[in-house]
Amino acid sequence: MKIEERRSTHVYRQKRMFTKEELEERESLCVHEQPAYCNAACPLKLDVKALAAALAAGDFDKALALYEKITPFPHILSTGCEAPCESSCKLGQLGEGIAIRELERAALAYGAKPKGASLLRKKQQSAAIFGADLFSLFLAGELVKKRYPVSFYCSQKDGLSLVKDCAPWLSQEAAEATAGLLNELDIAFKWGCEPEAAYWEDREKYALIAAAWDTARTLYPGLETDEAVMVCREQRLITGSTRGVLDSAFGAKRAALSADRLAQHLDPGNTRGEEGSVATRLYTSLEGVKPSKRIPVKDMDSAMAEAARCIQCHCDECIKGCAYLRHYKKFPRILTREIYNNVSIIMGDHMMNKPINACALCGQCSVLCPNGYDMAEVCHIARQNMVSTGKMPLAPHEFALMDMLFSNGEAFLSRKQPGFKKCSYVFFPGCQAAAIAPATVRAAYLDLCRRLDGGVALMLGCCGAIGDWAGRYELYGETVDFLGKELGELGSPEIIAGCPSCKKQLLSQGRESVRGIWEILEELGLPETAELRQRPMALHDACGARGDAKTQESIRRIAAKLGCEIRDTPYSGDQSPCCGYGGLTQYTNREVAREMTESCLERSPLPYLSYCMACRDRFAREGRESLHLLELVYGAAADNCPDISAKRYNRLGLKQQLLKELWGEELKMEDLGFEVEYTPEAEERMDDRMILRSDVIQVLQHLRESGEAVLEEDSGLFVTRERLGNVTFWVKYSETEKGYLVHSAYSHRMTVVNRL
Amino acid sequence: MADKNYYTVDPEGKLMCMKCRCKLQKGKAKFMYLDNGFPVELPVCPRCGFVYVPEELALGKVLSVEKALEDK
Repeated sequence: MKIEERRSTHVYRQKRMFTKEELEERESLCVHEQPAYCNAACPLKLDVKALAAALAAGDFDKALALYEKITPFPHILSTGCEAPCESSCKLGQLGEGIAIRELERAALAYGAKPKGASLLRKKQQSAAIFGADLFSLFLAGELVKKRYPVSFYCSQKDGLSLVKDCAPWLSQEAAEATAGLLNELDIAFKWGCEPEAAYWEDREKYALIAAAWDTARTLYPGLETDEAVMVCREQRLITGSTRGVLDSAFGAKRAALSADRLAQHLDPGNTRGEEGSVATRLYTSLEGVKPSKRIPVKDMDSAMAEAARCIQCHCDECIKGCAYLRHYKKFPRILTREIYNNVSIIMGDHMMNKPINACALCGQCSVLCPNGYDMAEVCHIARQNMVSTGKMPLAPHEFALMDMLFSNGEAFLSRKQPGFKKCSYVFFPGCQAAAIAPATVRAAYLDLCRRLDGGVALMLGCCGAIGDWAGRYELYGETVDFLGKELGELGSPEIIAGCPSCKKQLLSQGRESVRGIWEILEELGLPETAELRQRPMALHDACGARGDAKTQESIRRIAAKLGCEIRDTPYSGDQSPCCGYGGLTQYTNREVAREMTESCLERSPLPYLSYCMACRDRFAREGRESLHLLELVYGAAADNCPDISAKRYNRLGLKQQLLKELWGEELKMEDLGFEVEYTPEAEERMDDRMILRSDVIQVLQHLRESGEAVLEEDSGLFVTRERLGNVTFWVKYSETEKGYLVHSAYSHRMTVVNRL
Repeated sequence: MADKNYYTVDPEGKLMCMKCRCKLQKGKAKFMYLDNGFPVELPVCPRCGFVYVPEELALGKVLSVEKALEDK
């Protein structure tokens, strides 16, 4: 198995991730952008959330501006509206919903009217409205908003009597305020006229004609109105019924839109968009929300307090749990669309490569989302797609992939238990367990050999998850075949996995029988080595055990037997987040990986108990006391934050030790013939730059063969280099009696050649 | 027409090739990555042609160009 950089930025290949239908189906699962319940119920589409937020912040002017957006006559609407928003308020499920009309009235009472004229150009076509009722009054306001010159024919003598006739419930103050508004509007009132007579006389003067309900019926007995558009098509007359305040206001809005269409000589039913109240699919959790009662709105303070009760309904279940989504501040719907576009573009910058490769592929979102949105699947498909078209850079994943090849190459070991021709089991501890806790793995294997009948083989290697996570499906396929062949040579025994992710991965490969070591330990009982801990610990469930209740329960029972007082944290069990190792985030995006680890640790101040070695290691690196369950079971500690080189030496060392101890085989380590030492700065830089000690040694071996080096006069250090695979490594060193002292190491992926 | 160089590093006589025992000189070199070439001037041994890439260059400009190309 080999990894080669075969990309070229000059090769343009593209493959769609999803069909359009599949993309839309996935996107539709995300309800984040669905309207809030109150907003969805309002046919006028009042943005109640924004109104409440403005009021809660004391911005009454903004609140009024929001309210005036939906109606020309806020006094009439705020006092007469039937308010379906209030009965839809989510808070009503717990206690009392928000008093939305009270808030509207507070905005009117304390907010200043926005200044400035409409940006719309005055229309050429003029409109006339004959007869007064609530509908025709609202329509006049709506048409003025659209900048039509409006003439209003009515029998009333003045604005105040008109308002009082149309909205008799208004207080004197509100009626006067509305009449004042009417005077400010660009309406030519024809007071004290007979609307029906005026209609026959003047209708030809106007491009658009509208009439109050009763007037229209008088003019045309038996008149039929298309209620969807509020137009009597035959007469080209705009009219509508007045069944209630909200119905009149909404009818006027629909009628005004019809006026637009008629003015453009279009069918009034043409491209109207979504009108009226809608059904919303929003999900809003009421967890942690306390029931509360309405606060009577008497002044600005009480209005602000009532508005502050609004919980601003929205769905962010995924973001609350996932550090990755929080980092990119994007909801799955928009993220999916951007990833889809990223994969689809042929030329240009692929801006979403980083987010595609930063997801831990842990699947937490699919559990947290009320509709099961699976962002991990989207990112995984995108990675495979980009690998297939040659658009996936190798750089972010190469170190991890090389690590997998190392686990299944140099460090790989597959042996039957000494003395057994056939084994009933094979212990598969996983690459991270061998890398981080070789002593624990050794103790576990010896214990299984001692207490299980039928022989226990050992397989030290990688389950292939790394190749799968990287989207390198060819390499993964080769790994699956390789493991299949090796397991076949052992007689295909039952696999005892040491890691929940390995268990999941091996099962997905169709391996017949895979159990976790924890299940075996429950059957056998704890060994004598078990260390009892009478102390509280926070249990972190491995993301590899998501959906595996059997494993989660088994771990809790074993922890209890060990005396641990297990404290479940928020987001435990199936909801558990990834520690930052999964999906190769640790390699592709250290910043996001760190945020993931911190997010795990924020959940409890206690020491953490985990059952995945990668989790254990990442928590320890953040300075938290961190233990793997098997460390307690076997009283054998893991290494404390081994660096990338130590993780390799641990795997090799374990192989060497067990080969000698159990199978009497000597694994000779290559004698270099020279010694290499490192300054502390060099060690730190190498770990940070993902440069292995074995890389440095190969460069120095090349130096000894070629003699190629440069002396830096300023520092007095020598510098040499060698190309290893896809990377050129440079080593800065000084010579010592027995070999070299490495002061620094760096690398680049570009090749550099002479140019004549 | 003068050669286009994306980057120039002058050794200023402070680098010595240990194989050839001579000073490195400013010479023509080319970085290649993912089928893209970038002509540069770097310290080069006039005899064996060893091209020296300083640490700051590798971790700075070279790395940023690599990343930009990887996302093309």
